[in-house]
Amino acid sequence: MNPPGSLGVLEEKEEEHLPTPILGPSIHSDNPQERIQARRLRIAARLEARRREALGEYLDGKKESEEDQSKSYKQKEESRLKLAKLLLCGTELVTNVQVAADIRETHRRLEEEEIKRQRLEKLENEVKTSQDKFDEITAKWEEGKQKRIPQALWDMLNTQQLHCAALIEDKNKLISELQQELKTKDDQYVKDLKKQSDDICLLLERMEEQVKNVMKTFRQELHHIETAFEVERQELLTSNKKKWERALQAHNGKELEYLMSRIKKVEDYEKQLNKQRIWDCEEYNMIKIKLEQDVQILEQQLQQMKATYQLNQEKLEYNFQVLKKRDEESTVIKSQQKRKINRLHDILNNLRSKYTKQIKQFQEENQSLTSDYKRLVKQFKELQKAMRHFALVDEEQFQEIWLMNEEEAKDLISRAFDVDRIIHTHHLGLPWTAPDFWFLKNVGPISQQQWKSATQILEEVLMQTEEGGAEDGRAEEEGAEEGASEPESYLDLPKKVSAKTTRKILMLLCDESGFLIDSKLLRLLLPLEKTEHYMLRLDAIFSAIGIESEDDLYKLVNFFLKYQAHHSLSSQEQASLMSALEPAEQADVEGGKQESLVEGELEEKETPPSPGLIHPNDVLKILEAFVMGLKKPRDSRAPVKLMKDVRDDSEDSEYWKALATVIPDATQNLWDALYTALEKYHLVLTQRAKLLMENSSLEQQNTELQMLLQQYLDSKINSELQVPPTQVFGVPAK
Amino acid sequence: MQETVTPPSLSVPSRSSTSTQDRSSTAGQASSTAQQPSKPTVNPTPVKSKGPNSGANVRRMRRIIAEDAEWSLAIVPLLRELCIQHIVKNFQNNPILKQLLPEHQQKVLNHLSPDLPLAVTANLINDESYWRRCCMQRWPVCYVAKHGGSWKRMFFERHLENLLKHFIPNTTDPAVILDLLPLCRKYVRRIQVDQFLPPVQLPPPPWSGEQSDSGSEGEMEEPAMDHYQLGDLVAGLSHLEELDLVYGVKDCGMNFEWNLFLFTYRDCHSLAATIKACHTLKIFRLTRSKVDDDKARILIHSLLDHPTLEELDLSHNLIGDRGGRAAAKLLSHSRLRVLNLANNQVRAAGAQSLAHALAHNTNLLSLNLRLNCIEDEGGQALAHALQTNKCLTTLHLGGNELSEPTATLLSQVLSINTTLTSINLSCNHIGQDGGKQLLEGMSDNKTLLGFDLRLSDVSQESEYLIGQALSANREAARQRALNPSHFMSPITAKGPENPVG
Repeated sequence: MNPPGSLGVLEEKEEEHLPTPILGPSIHSDNPQERIQARRLRIAARLEARRREALGEYLDGKKESEEDQSKSYKQKEESRLKLAKLLLCGTELVTNVQVAADIRETHRRLEEEEIKRQRLEKLENEVKTSQDKFDEITAKWEEGKQKRIPQALWDMLNTQQLHCAALIEDKNKLISELQQELKTKDDQYVKDLKKQSDDICLLLERMEEQVKNVMKTFRQELHHIETAFEVERQELLTSNKKKWERALQAHNGKELEYLMSRIKKVEDYEKQLNKQRIWDCEEYNMIKIKLEQDVQILEQQLQQMKATYQLNQEKLEYNFQVLKKRDEESTVIKSQQKRKINRLHDILNNLRSKYTKQIKQFQEENQSLTSDYKRLVKQFKELQKAMRHFALVDEEQFQEIWLMNEEEAKDLISRAFDVDRIIHTHHLGLPWTAPDFWFLKNVGPISQQQWKSATQILEEVLMQTEEGGAEDGRAEEEGAEEGASEPESYLDLPKKVSAKTTRKILMLLCDESGFLIDSKLLRLLLPLEKTEHYMLRLDAIFSAIGIESEDDLYKLVNFFLKYQAHHSLSSQEQASLMSALEPAEQADVEGGKQESLVEGELEEKETPPSPGLIHPNDVLKILEAFVMGLKKPRDSRAPVKLMKDVRDDSEDSEYWKALATVIPDATQNLWDALYTALEKYHLVLTQRAKLLMENSSLEQQNTELQMLLQQYLDSKINSELQVPPTQVFGVPAK
Repeated sequence: MQETVTPPSLSVPSRSSTSTQDRSSTAGQASSTAQQPSKPTVNPTPVKSKGPNSGANVRRMRRIIAEDAEWSLAIVPLLRELCIQHIVKNFQNNPILKQLLPEHQQKVLNHLSPDLPLAVTANLINDESYWRRCCMQRWPVCYVAKHGGSWKRMFFERHLENLLKHFIPNTTDPAVILDLLPLCRKYVRRIQVDQFLPPVQLPPPPWSGEQSDSGSEGEMEEPAMDHYQLGDLVAGLSHLEELDLVYGVKDCGMNFEWNLFLFTYRDCHSLAATIKACHTLKIFRLTRSKVDDDKARILIHSLLDHPTLEELDLSHNLIGDRGGRAAAKLLSHSRLRVLNLANNQVRAAGAQSLAHALAHNTNLLSLNLRLNCIEDEGGQALAHALQTNKCLTTLHLGGNELSEPTATLLSQVLSINTTLTSINLSCNHIGQDGGKQLLEGMSDNKTLLGFDLRLSDVSQESEYLIGQALSANREAARQRALNPSHFMSPITAKGPENPVG
């Protein structure tokens, strides 16, 4: 009855009017608030639906208030079912055509198949029979060939012809039958075509009808639903109106009540107002008077203010004028400044160019200077080399000159001593002893005391002790000498500690602190001699602890002893050992000698028992304390070492002076006195000599004269003489 | 108002550059959009002389004068209007679109003629309204929803269809289609051609033996009867998803010849190669084209392990059991979701092989074997397969000579299966007892929404009761669809009327 419409559209329609109740706010809305609202509603609806499902109620998601809208809901549900049914029926009706066509087709196919089968059968039968007939005919041909009589041949040919005709007849019949069938099929086809077109027409008709019908029913149902809603709305309206009226009446009654009470209140308030008004009037008057007074005062003030205002205005005007002037001046100045700036800019630019030029120049200069510098450095290096060379040469020269001078001096001294000895022995008759001075033995320039390394000392110590106590004395002597020449080496070995003690301490140290030595070294040491063995081990230990010089070694030994002393004396002092070490060292620099002397005395007494008393277990502790204490002074030592190269010539003058004054004053005085006495003696002697000389000369003269006389006497003249001289004298001549 | 002024300016385009200069200034003054705010004081005099409201001095300051009926803001069209008109006019030679502002682009598009050559517009214009006008102009009925809601796509698809429909091999220049290829390759997703013209014989064919001889004639000339080869076209279309072909001629009327409806082996091979090479193809339909077993096997062989194919429709052909076996093989070697073999000649053996493939298939949603002849053997095999299948939702077995044994097995299936939503058993010989058994099976089923038993000798009572059960199921499905809190049922559940058609 209902032709189908376009299903999609109908479906949409159906669905459109179904969900309208829940679609208040839309999820697809642009407004985010609305979307949130929509989602909330949806969640609420779902929860509600679940609750209802749990209660076993009839489940319907899109209904919110079933009781209120029951009528419309029922109507909707009814319409929906009706429409669904309508659609279903309509589509069924439409598809019925197709189904009918399908079944016709299947029937046709079955029939066709059947007919085909029959036809095939028939054809096969036909083929078989015709084949038989054909075979018969072909067989007869063979027969015909054998026939010799033309009559018989003719008969046979006739029969053959008949047979062939019959065969062809059969075939033709079959063909005509088939053609007949074909024709009927054609007719059938035309009929089918017509039928199909009819079907299509029917289909179209039904579809149109369905569309119309569905439209109509949809409209109807829509109308129904609308009326249902309308009725419901009317009911709702009337009930609401009633409610409204009731509420209105109640409201009116209340309004009246309120009005009455209000009137009363108004009267009350009016009375109060009157009272208030009177009171206010009085107050108002008072205030008015007061305010008028105030106004007067204020007016006066205003006048005053005006006056001041005028004054200020004038002032300001004046100021304004001044400022204007200043402004002008400033503009002038500004222009000047601008000009100045321009000029300065020019200068700046000039300066810049100059600056760049100068930079260039300076760079060049710098380059030349650097090259100069390099050259100078090279020269300096060469100079240094030369200097070193010269220093060496100087040193040698110095040595030589020193030696030469010394030799000369020694020569002189020896002569002096010879003279002294001669004087003493020959002149004074005293026994002479040769004076013994250290410098007399000195050969070569005086040098600072050499820094003996710890190992050297070690060697010495070990060798000394081995050689025996006989050497001790010598060592002591040497030590004394050293002490005299170098007062700073306060920790001299022999002064405080005997070599034996030192040796013992060192042996102990060597035994206890074997861990400081490399295991490889130990293996290497095994085959060596005992002394050497010890020495190398100690060397390794010292290098590990950081002991380098003689001083350090002595310090160590001393420290051991001190520790031992403190330990043995009192346990209280043991704690302050560490702290005691430092001030002691500080004091060392100032007056180490005194202190060390004191200490030496102190320790000298205690030394004999000390080495035995040091417990091997304490050695490590002591060593640790020592290493801690040693670190500090180590740093201050560095510059001293650097100074070592410079020769100390302070003692040279002394040395030379000492050489000069090798003959003491007393002897000189003696010599002086002796000299004067000898001088006097010499004088006497010379006088005597003179006298002797005179004497001898006189004797000579005498003799000469005698001779002369003789001559005269002896001469012939005499004889001739009247009076011979011999007679004058007479006698002497005879 | 603007239209009244535009014709002169358009008629003398050379002058427009000079005339627009002063006109735009006056227009700017009139509309007070302040195009040239630097010299508003200079302009009033020409406005007064030209304007219709030259009289009142006071009015000059007012924007709208209500009393004056003739007063108008638009005296002269704006320069940009003129420019746009010019662009529209010369669009064919100098297409300027992308450089314009969006609003101007819209204006240009609104005024463009739908007759512009496609070479200009195809890749330049994406505006739907323009293509809508193009479509509306060419075809009276346009159902854009069928083309994915895109007018442009619709235009190109239908344009291409038209060309293909009227393409005559050896006569029409193939460049006609291949020239279009670069223009439409991005937009065409479907080719739906319901006729392919055969090549024209040079001598007019002798129509003497029209009735019986035509068949033999067609076979003789088969090599010459090849249709248009789609290979080049399909290879060029990068987004092609659907191919819907009918090798036949429409509206041949009294010129009917058998060889008009020939799907030759060469056609078949080239088509097979084409669809094999097209990796975007999702739907392939080849109906009413006399595809027999061998051709079907060739086609299906090329579709094995196709990456995207989802729907295969070979209805209204001549496919027999061997074709059915090939289709069964395809089921296990592809991701096919819909298979339509309606109105073919598949018999029990083909149905059995299909059932074997269906038993372990997890992709196929719909199987249509309408108007075949699978009979009870095939029907039972399919029912056995459905006991293990968990995927199939729609099954059409109308007109297959099925009878009671199949119904017995199907009733067992109905009580077990929870995926089937629609079964069609119309035009079979189910019989009264079979109907009762089906009713029993239906009583345990909660998912089936459509069950067609028309003209299958089932008693009215059981058919009615089955209908009741179906409507209950439909109601439940509707509730599920409306309250998706439980679980979204498939889309088919919404429209209970769908499977019937």
